[in-house]
Amino acid sequence: MLEFYEPQADYGTPKSASTAMVTLSIDGVNVTVPEGTSVMRAAAESGVKIPRLCATDQLKSFGSCRVCLVEIEGRRGFPASCTTNVEAGMEVRTQSDEIGKLRRNVMELYISDHPLDCLTCPTNGDCELQDTAGELGLRSVRYGFEGENHLVAEKDESNPYFTFDPSKCIVCSRCVRACEEVQGTFALTIDGRGFESKVSASQAEDFMDSECVSCGACVNACPTATLTEKSIIEAGKPEHSVTTTCAYCGVGCSFKAEMKGSQVVRMTPYKDGKANEGHACVKGRFAFGYATHKDRITLPMIRDSIDDPWREVSWDEAVTYTAKRFKDIQAQYGRTSIGAISSSRCTNEEVYLVQKMVRAGFGNNNVDTCARVCHSPTGFGLKTTLGESAGTQTFASVAEADVVIVMGANPTEAHPVFGSRLKRRLREGAKLIVIDPRKIELVSSPHITADYHLPVRPGTNVTILNALAHVVVNEGLEARDYIHERCDVAEFEKWRAFIGDERHAPENTETITGVAAADLRAAARLYATGGNGAIFYGLGVTEHSQGSTAVMGIANLAMLTGNIGRDGVGVNPLRGQNNVQGSCDMGSFPHELPGYRHISDTATRQLFEGEWGVTLDSEPGLRIPNMFDAALDGEFKGLYCQGEDIAQSDPNTQHVEAALRSIECLVVQDIFLNETAKFAHVFLPGASFLEKDGTFTNAERRISRVRKVMPPLSGKADWEGTMALANALGCKMDYSHPSEIMDEIARLTPTFTGVSYDRLEQLGSIQWPCNDSTPEGTPIMHVEEFVRGKGFFAMTEYVATTERANRKFPLLLTTGRILSQYNVGAQTRRTDNSEWHGEDLLEIHPHDAEERGINHDDWVGINSRVGDTVLRASVTDRVKPGVVYTTFHHPVSGANVITTDNSDWATNCPEYKVTAVQISKVTAPSSWQARQKSFDKQQQGLLKEAQH
Amino acid sequence: MSESKLQRLVSQVNQIALNMSANGSDEMVADQVAQHLEKFWAPPMKDLITQRAVGDDIGLTATAQMAIHNLVKIQQAKGA
Repeated sequence: MLEFYEPQADYGTPKSASTAMVTLSIDGVNVTVPEGTSVMRAAAESGVKIPRLCATDQLKSFGSCRVCLVEIEGRRGFPASCTTNVEAGMEVRTQSDEIGKLRRNVMELYISDHPLDCLTCPTNGDCELQDTAGELGLRSVRYGFEGENHLVAEKDESNPYFTFDPSKCIVCSRCVRACEEVQGTFALTIDGRGFESKVSASQAEDFMDSECVSCGACVNACPTATLTEKSIIEAGKPEHSVTTTCAYCGVGCSFKAEMKGSQVVRMTPYKDGKANEGHACVKGRFAFGYATHKDRITLPMIRDSIDDPWREVSWDEAVTYTAKRFKDIQAQYGRTSIGAISSSRCTNEEVYLVQKMVRAGFGNNNVDTCARVCHSPTGFGLKTTLGESAGTQTFASVAEADVVIVMGANPTEAHPVFGSRLKRRLREGAKLIVIDPRKIELVSSPHITADYHLPVRPGTNVTILNALAHVVVNEGLEARDYIHERCDVAEFEKWRAFIGDERHAPENTETITGVAAADLRAAARLYATGGNGAIFYGLGVTEHSQGSTAVMGIANLAMLTGNIGRDGVGVNPLRGQNNVQGSCDMGSFPHELPGYRHISDTATRQLFEGEWGVTLDSEPGLRIPNMFDAALDGEFKGLYCQGEDIAQSDPNTQHVEAALRSIECLVVQDIFLNETAKFAHVFLPGASFLEKDGTFTNAERRISRVRKVMPPLSGKADWEGTMALANALGCKMDYSHPSEIMDEIARLTPTFTGVSYDRLEQLGSIQWPCNDSTPEGTPIMHVEEFVRGKGFFAMTEYVATTERANRKFPLLLTTGRILSQYNVGAQTRRTDNSEWHGEDLLEIHPHDAEERGINHDDWVGINSRVGDTVLRASVTDRVKPGVVYTTFHHPVSGANVITTDNSDWATNCPEYKVTAVQISKVTAPSSWQARQKSFDKQQQGLLKEAQH
Repeated sequence: MSESKLQRLVSQVNQIALNMSANGSDEMVADQVAQHLEKFWAPPMKDLITQRAVGDDIGLTATAQMAIHNLVKIQQAKGA
């Protein structure tokens, strides 16, 4: 979808959702539009552009600029078309001499206080003020330019991505309103009155020092060059654009990659993208520079030992070398001695090919994906209870929610565009229950206050969920008709007897969870009786030894209250990475083929055997932690790791490193020499999302196109690298384009039968299931009945983790993410986002800090039962006493040196969220950090030798 | 085959059994645990624990022990 650059169409005011239609006349032409549409939008939809400055269809109409005046038959004066709604029979004139004079006069006033530097202005040719002056035929300014003005106002260049030049500001308030209405941060305001009015960030601070979160909504909204991307200032206006999908979090925002040749000069959120509807965050909007960072490795490399220098080789040589080593390993150690790990950062087509290569080429099922360490309990829990391993809603559905539970998720940091959508609904009056050990932003932020914050003790989610359900059942608040109609009643009765037991009463769980019984009861009543109830959860639910139980507890709660199967309700896992849902859909787990069908199912296996021309192993393969154990036991010797940095992201780093050192042939395909690649023998250069075609599937099951905007720097997209390796192994693959891979997926996967690149072009995006019965996809799941038939109330016995705090390790560490960084930071650390978060910090409550003599910014040692590391302390009451918290975005932090091997009982998802630790003031890095620094230096040196 | 690996598997089976403990009688839970292992564990893991659990006290709880016996039966039935 390559297009010559044009600003996205703007209809001036938002679309009306009304189904009632109104017919009016605009400039003598009859126009029919939904009731509630503005005259401005009705005109735009009929092809008539009314000049405007303060209006944009991303924001509510405001009516301040007075440029959009029109005449309406029978009405006095000249109403503003943006704030005047259509009426049946209305006769509107958008052009007349008098209107022209009025508009020009307004423009003269604006231009009299605006620099006349259009030819050297960075937005020359892409400026609404300039366009409007042209449309109005402005030829002179009667007021002159010598009067009092703002032309010498100082430019704010503090933000790394955009500038604020108040001399060009027309005070239309679009930026202020975007910050409020779209982003919901309220960082901007109009300070002063009359001539003194000016846009101000927070308390007249620089943007960088203000509360601004750099989402770019203000920059998008600005009709002048006041707020301009630095990339545009540097490179100039783009000349073409390509619509693609963001490669950061699981929201899956759609973007226009705006290009000059093969250089991305701007990423603009796409208004027609259904996941984001024109909004973005600091990562997707601005942090794309990593794709061309100097650290990119673009040539394949091989070496016999990790102590040897790398040797740059051709793709052919690298692939032949790898295939030979894998074959030799299998000959010596057996068929199951090799395997692969795929990544949720890669496309559906790429992860599909990896599992195909393993099953059909390696001849085993030793394939796993990074979803193992994040949302595998979601797959297990939702499949068990509802029948499908996926969330039930669209993001837009939250606009119909009356009560929202956010549990173990931090949307404004980790899923910011959804976070903004949620905040909008909360400002409209929806109630909010936050279940989280920390005071996340949603607990209290401008115009948002959680009705209940249940500050659960890490590791006790299941107890909280059981207690909530207990209250609903014992107070008779359950949705009886729904349960009897939609759920397995016999199982429900068994579950009701279990959950009704007094041990689940909030008064009895208080000592376990640390949550006051009265708050919990009130929250349960609110969720059960407050109207549409929607639950959004994240890794704070799944990454526990009872993660799968907690997911089932969430599904139980939703079924119990009748909150599944329509808009505004549902069970919604917020996926961490861009394609977690997709990588799971594509058969990346060792026990199942694409479409969540077990490998032991003969009919399914035969289907794939027929397509692939091989016999498949009917037994499950090794999961990631099993691979590590087998490697340490000398049974697992070869690993192909695509796009995943297991050395940094998996728990108990020292265990992982030991496993990686014992692998004889470790192949890493990535865009950078990541932590895992430092243990590798073969490096295959990866391609960023800008360099390949494919699809991602976001947290709402939405399949969206990823489109190549520049050629792969290494000469191959990742799917081509996998295909070359598969062919070298004798596993025949002959795709000329990822669309052919998707066609194969569709042939083999009932929930994808209707998916093709052609249909994606036609529909923009598709939420699976998409097949003959739902050719345009399925926005809401389980509408008439659950995928499994009757909803299943699973037993949710709380089994405490063995990771307990004691005298030696008295605090519980939990981990999370921060807005500006993404996952292991490989991408965002190589952008200016590091200006916000240059290092991981340890959050500790003032009480715990004081007990230990720790001050803000002190270096502190964090010791757990498996390791220790050192971070700088941030003393804050965001965490409660007894709990400490950190992020894991920087390798040197060693956050996972301290996390343990404990894992979810059903899926082995690591228990990142509960580690017993002790904290003490220190003056030197940990021994692991010293070793890491030394190893990093050695490996960077070996890389440099190859590159010279 | 390391003892530590065996112990990790034992811990996991015990953990699975404990987390399924509310599902029904011990027999029912043991059956469900066996099905879970059959469904999700790779053959070398199943082989290791079934071989070592027969006749030896390797630290399995009673329900977990029963589950491994059931797993053996499942495997025998597959092999038959």
